[in-house]
Amino acid sequence: MRISLNEIKKLVPEAGEIDTQELVKLIGSRLVEVEETINLAPKYQGIYVVKVVECEAIPETHLHLCKIDAGQAAEQINRDNDGLIQVVCGAPNVRAGMLAVWIAPGSIVPQTYGNEDFKLDVRKLRGYESNGMLAAVDELDLGDDHEGIAVINPAEKNSKSGDVVKPGDLFSDVFDLNDVILDIENKSLTHRPDTFGLIGFAREVAGIMGVKFDENRADITNNPFAISSTADNLIKIKIADTTLCSRYSCAIIETDDCLKDDKFFTKMDVFLAKAGMRGISRIVDITNYLMLMTGQPLHAFDFDKFVAVGGIDTPSIIVRSAKNGEKLQLLDGKVIECDENDILITSNDVPVALAGAMGGASTEIDQNTRKIILESATFSLYHLRKTQMKHGIFSEAITRFTKGQPAVSTMPVLESACSMLIPDAKETNDQVITIVDEYPNQDKENVVKITTKEINDLLGTTYTTAIIKKTLENVSFIVEDSSDSLTVIAPLWRTDIHIKEDIIEEVGRLLGYDNIALDYPLHPFACTEIDPMLSLKERIRNILSDRLSAHEVLTYSFVSKKLQESVGEDINDSYEIVNSISPDLQCFRQSLIPSLLEKVYENLKSGHKDFSLYEINQITKKSYGYDNDNVPKLYTHLAFVTTGDYYQMKANLVALLSNLGFDESNLDFRKYDGHFSYLEPQHSATISTPHVCCGEVKTAILKRLKIDQGISAYEIVLEHLIEDLPTSSAHISAISKYPTVERDLTMRVADSYTFAQTNKAINNALNKVEDITYKVYPVSIYQPEDNKMYRNLSFRIQFANLKKTLTSAEISAIMDSITKSVKEAVGAEII
Amino acid sequence: MSSVEKIKADLKALNAEYAKIKTIPVEERKAFGQELNKRREALQRELQEALDAAESENITPIDITAPSAPNTTIPSFKRGTKHPLMTELSHVLDIFSRMGFDVMEAQQLDDEFHMFESLNFPEGHPARDGYDTFRTSEGFIPPAHTSTMQYRALKKYKKNLDDGGQIAVVIPGRVFRNEDVDATHEHTFYQCEGIFVSENATMGQMLGTWKKFFETYYGQKLNIKTQPGYFPFTEPSVEFLIEKPKSLGGKGDGWLEMGGCGMVHPNVLKMAGIDPTKYKGFAWGGGIDRLVMLKYGINDVRYFESGKLDFLKEF
Repeated sequence: MRISLNEIKKLVPEAGEIDTQELVKLIGSRLVEVEETINLAPKYQGIYVVKVVECEAIPETHLHLCKIDAGQAAEQINRDNDGLIQVVCGAPNVRAGMLAVWIAPGSIVPQTYGNEDFKLDVRKLRGYESNGMLAAVDELDLGDDHEGIAVINPAEKNSKSGDVVKPGDLFSDVFDLNDVILDIENKSLTHRPDTFGLIGFAREVAGIMGVKFDENRADITNNPFAISSTADNLIKIKIADTTLCSRYSCAIIETDDCLKDDKFFTKMDVFLAKAGMRGISRIVDITNYLMLMTGQPLHAFDFDKFVAVGGIDTPSIIVRSAKNGEKLQLLDGKVIECDENDILITSNDVPVALAGAMGGASTEIDQNTRKIILESATFSLYHLRKTQMKHGIFSEAITRFTKGQPAVSTMPVLESACSMLIPDAKETNDQVITIVDEYPNQDKENVVKITTKEINDLLGTTYTTAIIKKTLENVSFIVEDSSDSLTVIAPLWRTDIHIKEDIIEEVGRLLGYDNIALDYPLHPFACTEIDPMLSLKERIRNILSDRLSAHEVLTYSFVSKKLQESVGEDINDSYEIVNSISPDLQCFRQSLIPSLLEKVYENLKSGHKDFSLYEINQITKKSYGYDNDNVPKLYTHLAFVTTGDYYQMKANLVALLSNLGFDESNLDFRKYDGHFSYLEPQHSATISTPHVCCGEVKTAILKRLKIDQGISAYEIVLEHLIEDLPTSSAHISAISKYPTVERDLTMRVADSYTFAQTNKAINNALNKVEDITYKVYPVSIYQPEDNKMYRNLSFRIQFANLKKTLTSAEISAIMDSITKSVKEAVGAEII
Repeated sequence: MSSVEKIKADLKALNAEYAKIKTIPVEERKAFGQELNKRREALQRELQEALDAAESENITPIDITAPSAPNTTIPSFKRGTKHPLMTELSHVLDIFSRMGFDVMEAQQLDDEFHMFESLNFPEGHPARDGYDTFRTSEGFIPPAHTSTMQYRALKKYKKNLDDGGQIAVVIPGRVFRNEDVDATHEHTFYQCEGIFVSENATMGQMLGTWKKFFETYYGQKLNIKTQPGYFPFTEPSVEFLIEKPKSLGGKGDGWLEMGGCGMVHPNVLKMAGIDPTKYKGFAWGGGIDRLVMLKYGINDVRYFESGKLDFLKEF
């Protein structure tokens, strides 16, 4: 939303007395975030209102050679003997005697200001010297019109001096362009419909400056019209449901110049341009002006079309819910299909407008319009919000309606519109205006009782009752106080005031949150809880990244159906995002490995080799059901992928688990349970405690993902891992002070036995020896190319007695027991 | 004569002096002997050093700037990396934990109740639109802010209040917004929420607490300021700004918007079964991604979820 500070200063004169920067700072800290401050003055430097004295066509061109009177302006520019300046102008509407806008040489064309900054010069056009240019509205950046140059009404008054405009006046003085525009972030005003008009905004500016807002200034035209007593005969209004529309006011106005355009460039055009809008026609400009001033949108229907559509002589307005499937053609030509949520304005039950959003094509005003019905109403913001979303209408009007425009303002704004449309109606007292107002349940003022202590207790301040009272009264609250107790009556437009906190917020904000003394809560000497999941995640990250050279990645929680299908996941088991950004982000993921595989592909493509990635994140699927809150049960997974084979992945997994305190020798790698569809069962395993699935990714899947090398992976459910986590990681083996014996042992074992079986047999033998501490390390596994029936397994075995030095006989006995054990268990033959 | 030979000669001469000991009066002999011992030890040390130096002169120097000796494999130690967002989040949680806050993680799929209703957003209120939420076909919502966890945090730690204590929790989590992705916008990002409830919480405490966090985080005193804000679940509500810290090139002028905060709305407390006439609270929430981007000068938020090793290896 764009706010003109000059308009604010007209409503709050005190705001003109302080430095602009200070004012902007104050607004930013106590009213609303100011996204940008735009100073218009430099943009309109060196631009003047001038009179075209002579104007002659240049033969064989569309150009005119003009002599202009620029008064005392731009004295450095060459003038002829009559004191006139020569300008060549190509506009079709240039003529002698008109007042125009002249951009002097050396000045920047406002349209280009801040972009290419096009600076005008003295130059020759078709051999004629031309000084600067006569400007069109678009070149002044105050509208879209480029059909001709801007024409100034000779009766126009200079905003600065108040006198009738004369040649040589600064354009910026005449049209009030020495102004600062604030571009504000209106999201934080969502609950404040009253501030969506300049009057409401100005009231707040007074409040934050600590001065009383003069409500007389809010009355734009001094309410000149009374509700017509004979109105009921002239127009009928029926609101079918007051929750849809709490007030509907309208006026029938006989005016044949709704669309009249006198072709002059006016202050109204400038006012609208400052707000980011454009002058369109008399009626539209007046309604837009009032909306910008008050926040109350208005809509005009063509009276004759309105009654014709309804098939009646006396207009009958019915405000009601749309029926499902009911169709309406809007002003922009689009035909919409309504549903029960939409609110319709109907003429005798025939839809003529989508309430609050857009008028219908059938009652559009045009050149032939002689009589209008002007609507000023308020509608349910909840319904309009849905209408806005459903039909994609984001007009200035609906933006205001969806904040909940207060019913109190429909009538005064309608009356202002009438007096602006027919300025002399009051004097003539003719029957050109009929006003009716349907307001079945009058709003009551919101009253809040609160104490000074309650206010100070929540803010942490020491404001006195007197300061609080004055602060609230400045923005037109009525405050009755009896010692420490306040009864606060909110003005009718403050639909947001209901509870004590609403009042506390007003006091804190208007007096400045920055004035609150900073403090800290007192903290009891109680230890904070460390979440076990968080601390496990932290440990895993330390191990995998710091010890095991893996790279932590984060990938999106949403994946494509295509990816899920490629890896063999059941897409029907995925929660599907109905409003996803793209098909790539359509399903909540069921596991992490598929996301990591996508990243493996990308990193291989960028030339990385031999790397490991891991991610810790949440997953879910429908078959997991809901948790106690009835929301999908989520699990936190750890997934690891590496460009190595099964054994490289396994080395990492074993190192991780042993770092987490699991006894390496107890990790039981068993036949794969098939939990993840994408792991190759022949090259995959499951550990039961802790439960881990690990293995090589199926070649066919890798091919689908365009990965042309083997990838291994594991994925662990951390909620399960926590349960299995050893409570104490201390299972330190006894340490002997006697010499350690080391022996290497190579044995031939039939390939049908697993490595684990042989390993276990060695450990079993050593386990039976009393008083020793031992370690068994695999050294190598050899299999000749031409005989896959056997493998040669080599182990390095270290042991020491805890009580004495072993004799060679004792050592031999131990080695023999190992030989015996492996022979019995797996038929191993020592070689 | 090399230095080794000279020292050896000196040592020989010194040894000869020991013979004089007999010619010295008995009472002076001890001091004389000690003096000789001291000199001998010094010479022996010198001799050892000279011998070592002589040996080193015979060793061929290596190129200490090369990655390996000629004809040998270049040694390499692979380094792993942690994701900068997770590292920063740990840092943030560590500070809050030391300040006395419990930590509770947010969940990545939630419902309308936790996202809106429990936070005092009236049904169908336009304020719900500001969050651009994703939805599943069942109507579940990947949360658009970590505030979805406020209700759970209040419920879980309500017992603290019953025991005469207070609720102090921070909630980190991944959040989602349906918006177009560019260098400064992501549909997936991280937030950290905080909520504090006690019998006498004030807005002054809220501003003080969050200020203290940022001062600890940036290791310097900081000026703060606020802008009025609007959130249905806090009242009063403000946007919180800190002075641009020196470590980010701040010179006492610029301001950084750090997030929203406010006094917990009585309806939010009531909904969680906490008596708003007895207890008051404050809450805040801010983004983690931005902290990391500022800290490391990262100019494109899309790197975070890109999984690019070229990016990750920078950390």
